[in-house]
Amino acid sequence: MDFYLGLAQVIGVHTLLGLSAWCVLHTGQVSLAQGGFFAIGAYTSGMLTTMAGWPLGVALPAAAIISAAVAVAVGFPALRVKGLMLVVATMAFAEIVRLVFFNLTWRINTPAGLVGPDGSLGFGGIRYFPSNGWSSVEILALVWGLVALVMLALAWLDRSRIGTLWRAVGEDEVAAQSVGINLTAAKVSAFGIGGAIAGLSGSIFSHYATHIEHSNFTILLATFAIAYPILGGLSSLWGTVLAVIFIQGFLIEGLRFLGDWRSLLFGALILLVMLLRPNGMISSPISRWFARSGGSATPTPKDKAHA
Amino acid sequence: MLELKQLSRSFGGVKALDQLDLSVRKGEILGLIGPNGSGKSTTVNLIAGLYKPSGGSLAFKGVDLAQRGTHERAALGIARTFQNIRLFANLSVWQNVWAARVVRDVGWTGLRKRWLSSGRAARDEVQELLEFSGLAGKSDMLAGNLAFGEQRRLELARAAASGAELLLLDEPAAGMNAEEIDELDDRIRSLRDQGRTILLIEHHMELVMAVCDRIAVLNFGRKIAEGTPAHVQNDAAVRAAYLGSEDTATA
Repeated sequence: MDFYLGLAQVIGVHTLLGLSAWCVLHTGQVSLAQGGFFAIGAYTSGMLTTMAGWPLGVALPAAAIISAAVAVAVGFPALRVKGLMLVVATMAFAEIVRLVFFNLTWRINTPAGLVGPDGSLGFGGIRYFPSNGWSSVEILALVWGLVALVMLALAWLDRSRIGTLWRAVGEDEVAAQSVGINLTAAKVSAFGIGGAIAGLSGSIFSHYATHIEHSNFTILLATFAIAYPILGGLSSLWGTVLAVIFIQGFLIEGLRFLGDWRSLLFGALILLVMLLRPNGMISSPISRWFARSGGSATPTPKDKAHA
Repeated sequence: MLELKQLSRSFGGVKALDQLDLSVRKGEILGLIGPNGSGKSTTVNLIAGLYKPSGGSLAFKGVDLAQRGTHERAALGIARTFQNIRLFANLSVWQNVWAARVVRDVGWTGLRKRWLSSGRAARDEVQELLEFSGLAGKSDMLAGNLAFGEQRRLELARAAASGAELLLLDEPAAGMNAEEIDELDDRIRSLRDQGRTILLIEHHMELVMAVCDRIAVLNFGRKIAEGTPAHVQNDAAVRAAYLGSEDTATA
C-alpha cells in the first residue's frame, strides 16, 4: 500500500512539473529550465520550513513566487533566442542551478539540530511532514489538491484571452507580432507562470522526500518535464496527466525489471509519438469533442508538431 | 497618414528599395505595383517593421516608426496580410480573429486595460467580421483546414480585427479565381468605406485598376510613376518596365 501511496505522490508532483512545461510549450518554446525552477522551489521551501521555521502554507507560495521571479529574470534574455539555441540556453541555466546547490553549504543551529544545505551531501532533515504528524494519505491529498487547483487555474487561463494569445504565439510568431501581440510579454508571462508551477512542484517534492541533493535535479528531470506535454499533447491538460501516469506508473515502475533498458524504451516512445501523433497521444479531435461536445469540431489531418 | 521619405533597404549589395518617397493619404486605396523583384514586398515589410531600413524614414500619423517594433506598429493601427498566408493554423477560425481583437484590450501583462469588460462588444465585432468574410458558418473549424480562398479571407478579417486604420494587403488576389477576385474587390471597397486606408500590392492588373484611387509603380527598387490608374496606364516608363521596351508598347 505504501508503495502505491508513494507512487501516487510521485505522479502528482510530476504532473505539476509537466503542467509547468505545458505553459511554456504553449508559446512554442522548448525549455529545459523546468528542472532548474523545480530545484529552486525544492531548496527554497525546504530552507524556509526548516531554517526559518515557516509553516508550509506560507513556504509553498513563497517558493513558487521566488521560482517565478527567477523565471521572469531568466526569461527576458533567454527568450530572445529560439529553437535549438533556447534548448541549449535553458539547459545551461538548469545546470548552473544544479551546480549552485552542489556548492551551497549553509547550515544553522535550530531546535531540531544543525540543518541546511550541505553542499554535495545534499539537504536533509526537511521534516515538516513527520514532525507535524502528517500521514501519507494527508500528504497525498495535499499533492492532488494542488494538482487540481493548478489544473483549474490553467484551464481557465487557456480559455482566457491570455491563453489565446499564448497559442497564437506558439502557432506563428511573425503573424502574432503583426496583429499586435508583444512576443516578449507572451513568452515571459508563460515562462513565469510555468516557473511558479515548477517551484510549487519542487516544494512538495523536497518535503515528502525529506532529503534532497543536486543529483535529483539533473537534465533527466527536465527531459521528463518536457516529455509529458509533448506525449500528452497541448490541446488538453488531461493529456499531460495521462502521460505522467503512463510514464511514471507504467514505464518507470511497471517495467522496473527491464533495468536500464527502460531509458531506451522511453526515448523510442518519444520518437514514435512525434512521428505518428505529432500533436500528442490525445489529439485535438478527441479533446475538442470533450471540450464542447455537440460543437461542429472537425478532425485535423494536417496536425502540426509543436515541438 | 503614412509618409515614407527616402526609404531604402539593401540586402548585401542589392538595393531592394532605393530612396522611395511615398505618402499614403487617409481613406484612399493606394496600389503599389511593379514587376517581380521591384521592391513591393520589401516596402510592406519595412512598413510593418519586419525589416529595418538601411536609410530614410517612415512616419505614421506623425509618429516616427524607426524605433517601433512590429507589435507596436500594429497597436498604432497598421495591420497586414501576407503573400504566403500565415494563419494560426491550429486555432479555430474564431480564435484567429479573436486573438487579433483581444490583444487591443489586453495590455503588456494581460491584466491591464479593461481586463474583464468589453467582452460582449469584442465578440460582436469578431462575429461581424466573420460574417463580412463569409466565414461565420465555419467559426469552429481549424484555420488550417479551410480552403485556400477562405484562408485569404480569414487573414483579411484577422488584420481588420486588430483595429487597423492602415491595411497592407500583400498580393491578396494571388491564386484566386475570377469570382473570388470580384468578391475581394467588393470587400476592399467596403473596408475603405468603413474608414480604413488601404495599401494594395497586387499583380492582378484588372483588380488594381478597378479598385485603386492612386497607383505607384516600382521598378528595380525605384518609383518610376505615380498617379491615377489612367495616368499610370499611359505612362511610357511603366509600359517599358512591364513590356520590355518602348517599341513594343502597343497595347
